[in-house]
Amino acid sequence: MPFKDMPIRRKLMRIIFLICGTALLAMSISLFIYGSRSFRKSSLEKLSTIGKIICTNSTAALIFENRQDAKEILAALKAEPHVVTAVLYDEKGKPFVHYPSELDTNAFPLRPGPEGFRFAHSRLEGFQPVVMETRRLGTLYMQSDLGDMYEEFRNYAIITTLVMILSLSLAWMLTRLLQKNISVPILALAGTARMISDKKDYSVRAVKRSKDELGSLTDAFNDMLEQIQEQNLALNEFNQKLEQKVSERTIQLENLNKELEAFSYSISHDLRAPLRGIIGFVTILEEDYTSRLDDEARRITTIIKNNTMKMGHLIDDLLAFSRMGRKDIEKTTISTSAMVEEVIREVAPDDKNGHIQWVIDSIPDVKGDINAVRQVWINLISNAVKYSAKKAAPVIEIGFISRQGETIFFIKDNGVGFDEKYKHKLFKVFQRLHSTDDFEGTGVGLAIVEKVIAKHGGRVWAEAAVGKGACFYFSLPD
Amino acid sequence: MRYVFVTLLLIINLPLVAQAPLSREYELKAVFLYNFAQFVEWPPTAFSNSEAPLIIGVIGKNPFGTRLKDIVSGEKVNGHDVSVQYYDNAEDIGTCHILFINLPEAKKREQVLQLLKDRNILTVSDAPGFPAEGGMIRLFTRDNKIRFEVNLEVSRAAGLSISSKLLRLADLFTPSKNS
Amino acid sequence: MIPNSVDLLLVEDNADDAELTIRELKRHKLANNLYHVRDGEEALDFIFCQGKYTGTRDISHTPKVILLDIQMPKVNGIEVLEKIKSDERTRQLPVVILTSSKEDPDIKRCYDLGANSYIVKPVNFERFTVAIQSLGYYWLLLNQNPV
Repeated sequence: MPFKDMPIRRKLMRIIFLICGTALLAMSISLFIYGSRSFRKSSLEKLSTIGKIICTNSTAALIFENRQDAKEILAALKAEPHVVTAVLYDEKGKPFVHYPSELDTNAFPLRPGPEGFRFAHSRLEGFQPVVMETRRLGTLYMQSDLGDMYEEFRNYAIITTLVMILSLSLAWMLTRLLQKNISVPILALAGTARMISDKKDYSVRAVKRSKDELGSLTDAFNDMLEQIQEQNLALNEFNQKLEQKVSERTIQLENLNKELEAFSYSISHDLRAPLRGIIGFVTILEEDYTSRLDDEARRITTIIKNNTMKMGHLIDDLLAFSRMGRKDIEKTTISTSAMVEEVIREVAPDDKNGHIQWVIDSIPDVKGDINAVRQVWINLISNAVKYSAKKAAPVIEIGFISRQGETIFFIKDNGVGFDEKYKHKLFKVFQRLHSTDDFEGTGVGLAIVEKVIAKHGGRVWAEAAVGKGACFYFSLPD
Repeated sequence: MRYVFVTLLLIINLPLVAQAPLSREYELKAVFLYNFAQFVEWPPTAFSNSEAPLIIGVIGKNPFGTRLKDIVSGEKVNGHDVSVQYYDNAEDIGTCHILFINLPEAKKREQVLQLLKDRNILTVSDAPGFPAEGGMIRLFTRDNKIRFEVNLEVSRAAGLSISSKLLRLADLFTPSKNS
Repeated sequence: MIPNSVDLLLVEDNADDAELTIRELKRHKLANNLYHVRDGEEALDFIFCQGKYTGTRDISHTPKVILLDIQMPKVNGIEVLEKIKSDERTRQLPVVILTSSKEDPDIKRCYDLGANSYIVKPVNFERFTVAIQSLGYYWLLLNQNPV
C-alpha cells in the first residue's frame, strides 16, 4: 500500500518509527566515529607510552650491550597481549634484540624506519628512538594488532544493537499509547462522517474528546452538521411549499384549461347552430321557392351560403388550432407511408384521373402523435394540392432527408409559390400570402403545422419562389 | 647472537687497531668507565659549580693509553664536560668523580680506598676482591664479555646514587658471600 | 300521433335544427313514424314511458333508431345515452349521435358509452343513409315506410 493511502494509525507509527530510528542511527554512527577515533588515539598513546617506558628502561642495556637484559625488558611486553612484535635496534640501526625471541628475523623491519606510530593494514606499528640525554642509543620498533580495537568495536556494535532494539520497542509501545491521542479522534470523526453519508442522518454528532485542534475540528464538523440539518429543514419546508404551490397552480391551470375547453366547445356549438340555421333555411329558400326567385336573388343566396360555410370552416380551424396547443402529445411509431397515402386519398379524392403527378419516396416511419402528425400531413399536402391546382401539369413531390438524430420530410409542389420576403409570416395564425379570392383558406393550417412540430421538438421551414412552387420542410426527432 | 657480537667487536675495534696496540679488554673498559658516569648521580657538592667538569681519574699504570681521553673528549654528562686525569699517588687526587684504580697490590688499593673514604668518588677496578676491599665497582670478564660487580653499601656510604638501570646489569656484591 | 309505433325518435332542442332535419327526412319519406322530443328529460320520459308518457305507450315498443343531439339544456345527450345503454330493456337500441362538428371531443365519449354512429349537422339524406347503413337498419327502416 503506498504511504499516502495508509490508515492514519499506521502512518503515525511509521513516521515516529522512522524519526526514532534515524535519530538513533545518527547518534550511534556519530558515537561510533567518535569512539573509534578516540580509541585509535588512545591506542596510539598507549603504545607510545609503553614504547617510552621500554626505551627508558633499555638505555643501560643498550649502552652496555647487555642482550640478556634487553631481552628481559622486552619480555615485559607479555603483559600487553596486543603488542605482538618489538625490536630493539642498536646505535647503528642493527637489530639488537627482538620480542618474542622465537620470532623469525624477516618478520620485522631490518632497519629502523621514520619515527612515530601509525596505523597500517590491520595493525598499529612504529619506531621510537632510544635516547639518553642527547645521545641516540638505538631505536625501538613495536607492532600491535588491533584485536583490542576490534573487540571494542564488536562490543560497541552489540551494545548499540541492544540499545536500538530496546529504544525502538520502547518507542513502539509509547507510540501505540500516544498515537491514540491523535488517531482515535480522527478515526472517530471519519467514522461519524461515513455513517452520516451512508445513512443521510444529519442529526448524528461527533463526540469531542479534547480541546486541541482536533477538538475544534470536531466542533467545526458538528457546526457544519447543524447547518446542514437546518438547511435541509429549510429546504424541505421550501420544497413542500413549492410543491403545494405547484399543485395549486396546476389545479388552477387545469381548471383554466377546462374552462377554455368548455368555452371553445360552446363556441363551436353555439356559433355553429345559427350558421346551420342560415344555410338550412337559405337552402329551403333556394329549393322550395326557386320559381319565385330571380337570378339576382339566387346569386345573393349563394353568396350567403358561401360566406356561412366559410365561417363554419373558420370555426373548425380555430378549434383545431387551439386544441392542438392544449393537447399533450402521445408518441407512437407512425407508419408514414401509409399515413401519407391515406391523407392523399382524403385530400384529393377527385384527382382520380391522375391530373396531379405524385412523386413519392419510400418514406421511413417516425415517432410522433398519430393524430397531430396526420394533421400536419393533411395541412401540408392539401396546401400543395391547393396552390398547384391552377397549373396545367401539377407535380407534388414528397420525400425525406435522414440526418443524425432526426428525419426531415419535405413536400414540394410546382404551384404558385410565394415571395420569400414574407417567409416570417408564413407560420403565424391568420396570416395569408394569397388572397381568399385566389385561394380559399383560413390562414390557420400552417400555424397548426408549426405548433405540432414544435411540440414534437422539430423544426418547420420553407423555400419558395413566386410562380415556381414551394417546398415545405419539417423535421421530427428520432 | 654470535654474529651480533662479532659485528659489535669489529665496529668498536677497527679504529683502535689502526691507532695503537691496545688490548680489546681495556678498550671496552674505557667505554664502560665513561658510560658509568651516565648512570651515577653525584651529590651537588661534588661539583664546585654547574659547569665544573666531571673528572675521570686513573691511579696507577694507565692501561687505556689515549683511548679514554679520546672517548670523553667533547662529550657531556648532565651538562658537565668530561675530562681525564692521571694520578701517581693518592694524595694527588683533587676533585675527582670516577677513579679507576689500577694497582695490583691489594694493600695499596686499600690505602687509596681508605684515603678516599669520605669523598664522593666512584671507585672502579678490575682487581679480584675489590668490592670486598671496600671498592665500589669491579670489572671482570665472563663469557668473553665485560661484566661488573657493585658494592652498593660502599657507594651509598659515599653519597653516590647508582641508577637501577645500571644495577640491573650488575652483579651485586654481598659481604656474607665473600667473607 | 300514436307514440307506440315510432320508428325514429329525434331528440333535438334547437327548433331550427329539428325543422331542417325533419324536412330532410320527409323529403325522402322517412319521417312518417318520426317523433320529436325537445330535450333529454322528455326523451327519457318517452323511452322509459314515464312522466307525461306514463300509460300512453308500452315500453316494449321501442323506436327503431334514436337520433340524439349531444348539446341540450337540463339533461344532455350524453346522460340520455348513458341511461339507455345502462338499462337492460333499452341497451340494444341503436343510437345515432347528432353533433355540430366532427372535431367534437364528445363523439369519442359517446362511442365509449355505446353510441352506434354519428352525423354532423345539418343532417342531409346522404349522411343519414350512411349512418343507417352502418347500423344495418337501412332496409328495415325504408321497408317499413313504403312510399
